[in-house]
Amino acid sequence: MDYFFFIDLIQSTVDGLLFGTTYALIGIGFTLIFGVMRKLNLAYGAAALAGTYIGLVLFLTFDAHPAIVFLASALGSGAIGLVVYLCCFRFTPTHYPMASLLASVGMLLFIDEVVIHASHGLPYPYPSVFRDAIIEAGDIWIRGDLLFVFFMCVVAMAILFWLLYRTPLGLATRAVSQQPRAAQLCGIDVTRVNMMTFGIAGILGGIAGAMTAAAVGVLSPVIAMGLTVKGLIVVVIGGLGSIPGAIIGGLLVGAAENIFLLLRGVTERDIYVMLLLFIFLTLRPGGLFGSAQTRD
Amino acid sequence: MKLSTLVTASVLALAAAPVVAADKTINIAGFGASSGVVGIFGQNSGAAMAAAVEKINAEGGVTLADGSKAMLATEFYDDRCNAEEGISVLRRIASTDALVAVGPTCSNVAEPLFGILQAKVDDAGDTGLQFPVFTDVAIKGGLAGISEWVFRNTPSEATMYDNLFAWIRETHPDAKTIYGGVEEDFAHSRFTWYSVMKTAAEAHGFEVVGEAQWLLNDTNFSNQARGMRRAEPDVVAISAHPFTTCGMLREMDRQRIEPKVLVGLTSSSSLETLTGCANEAEGIIIPTSFAPVNDEAKAAAAAVEAKGGQLDLHSASAWENIMILKDVIEAAGIEGTAESLEEDRRKIRDGLATLTEAPGLLGANKRMPDGEAVKPYVFVNAESGNWEVLHNPGS
Repeated sequence: MDYFFFIDLIQSTVDGLLFGTTYALIGIGFTLIFGVMRKLNLAYGAAALAGTYIGLVLFLTFDAHPAIVFLASALGSGAIGLVVYLCCFRFTPTHYPMASLLASVGMLLFIDEVVIHASHGLPYPYPSVFRDAIIEAGDIWIRGDLLFVFFMCVVAMAILFWLLYRTPLGLATRAVSQQPRAAQLCGIDVTRVNMMTFGIAGILGGIAGAMTAAAVGVLSPVIAMGLTVKGLIVVVIGGLGSIPGAIIGGLLVGAAENIFLLLRGVTERDIYVMLLLFIFLTLRPGGLFGSAQTRD
Repeated sequence: MKLSTLVTASVLALAAAPVVAADKTINIAGFGASSGVVGIFGQNSGAAMAAAVEKINAEGGVTLADGSKAMLATEFYDDRCNAEEGISVLRRIASTDALVAVGPTCSNVAEPLFGILQAKVDDAGDTGLQFPVFTDVAIKGGLAGISEWVFRNTPSEATMYDNLFAWIRETHPDAKTIYGGVEEDFAHSRFTWYSVMKTAAEAHGFEVVGEAQWLLNDTNFSNQARGMRRAEPDVVAISAHPFTTCGMLREMDRQRIEPKVLVGLTSSSSLETLTGCANEAEGIIIPTSFAPVNDEAKAAAAAVEAKGGQLDLHSASAWENIMILKDVIEAAGIEGTAESLEEDRRKIRDGLATLTEAPGLLGANKRMPDGEAVKPYVFVNAESGNWEVLHNPGS
């Protein structure tokens, strides 16, 4: 092993960990919704992408500042999250779990098609910040824009933790997540909590979508499938329902895919990531931080 | 006297009626990806076909075997760049009264789709579909050889890149090394790098010092760009579609990779690349069989734009195909009736097979015996957000 190999290994790990925060955010979104409703929202990645396009429209139409574009992307995604909740989860029969799952698959395809039709499938430039900023530590380069992505995702996670553990809304959310019937008996409006959860998860997804597009510098509908698949892998590895698990899972998947890319090339990279998923599903189906706790 | 004049005029009018009235319609189907992430190819082809049909109809339509006039009509079918859907779409088109189909847009659809057609005409043992297909977009080389019912009006990438690297060798004698970047999971991108660009570059004395691979929906190119930076190539060739081309160009910019010459994939000489990353794409050189360099090409571009599309090297072929088919319809003696449909389709096939030259927007296209075309081309480069002609090998 030569010097350049070690440099590449460190560089790949650093890039992967920084980019992995976007996977972590998507994973948190999946896990939040699952934690509260015990249902998977497969339209989540597509909704995040659609929200990102809302920010893009502001950028292309009004040449809006990147901060406004990112904010609009996050809020837009939150709003679409609410629509997804109302269309796929609010009114579907609770005793038939496949209904909401399949409805969310339908919504995934629907949102994807709408985005493709509206954008004609064209890639559009998406604003980046600190694009040309590079921190050079010898032969290791740390991208300023990825550091920004990392910072934004960490801030989003910090706000989420504050919301969940320091506010009445968070208390209600955790109560519904643990004992929905008991929470309802205590006067908590479960429907409202569910809606808020979809809204917050949507905002996180929008931030992830915006940060992914900002890191690439281009927004294209092809990103949607990546967000969905990576998000699902992250929650399986981290443990469905566990927010710390989603964070660790996101960083792990980000680093692993970059290291596999370095070691085995792009054509085998995803094989090893999927193998990792398979190993977790077989040997540790609850993921790294999966809780065995049950609820009523 | 007046009565006889009236009767004569009426008889003449009645006799001439079929010649003047254009109550017949000749249907030409278009198909390809008009939705999905590469849907822009089909949307542009559909617009180009509609604009060309409108022009022909405005000039009186096409003349049929009996001397009567018929209007052309076209309808575009979406195959979503999916091979199974493409096959199903072509079977559906063959069951309609369409005389010929123009498409598909994706090489990964074209290859299996051509396989369902009869390989050799008049081979009684081959029960393959007997329906003429005149391809406009799917550009991967050599596909027309799969069936004698297939004709293509796509540019020869092998010829274009061979001449491009010869020209680069001549204009940049100090450039010695080349580094390739390829979108590994897209048939056209792979084929063009491994079988066309790389071969042409080596043939003209460039040393390949490395290759970077990525996938169609990748979002992180830092690993790939790092290898490129270390190799310090004089020429970088990117064989990828606009989304990842833009991603890679941005990463190259970030890692301060500044080759003397940047070469792109034919399909990237489109609006998409300029929409996505005009600044980073500045200076990229691409050979293309279409640029609005003469009055006819400019008029065609304007007509297609009025239909909501863009004329690029792919959709220009769709325009040309309709114009070529008009000539073939008139030369082959198409009857245009329901009873003659099978026979008319065969006449179209035979008519296309006998062509040795066909009109094109940049000049005459040579028609090859294997159903392929050799088209005139130019080298364009991205300059201030536009594609500008850098060199015209034909001039």
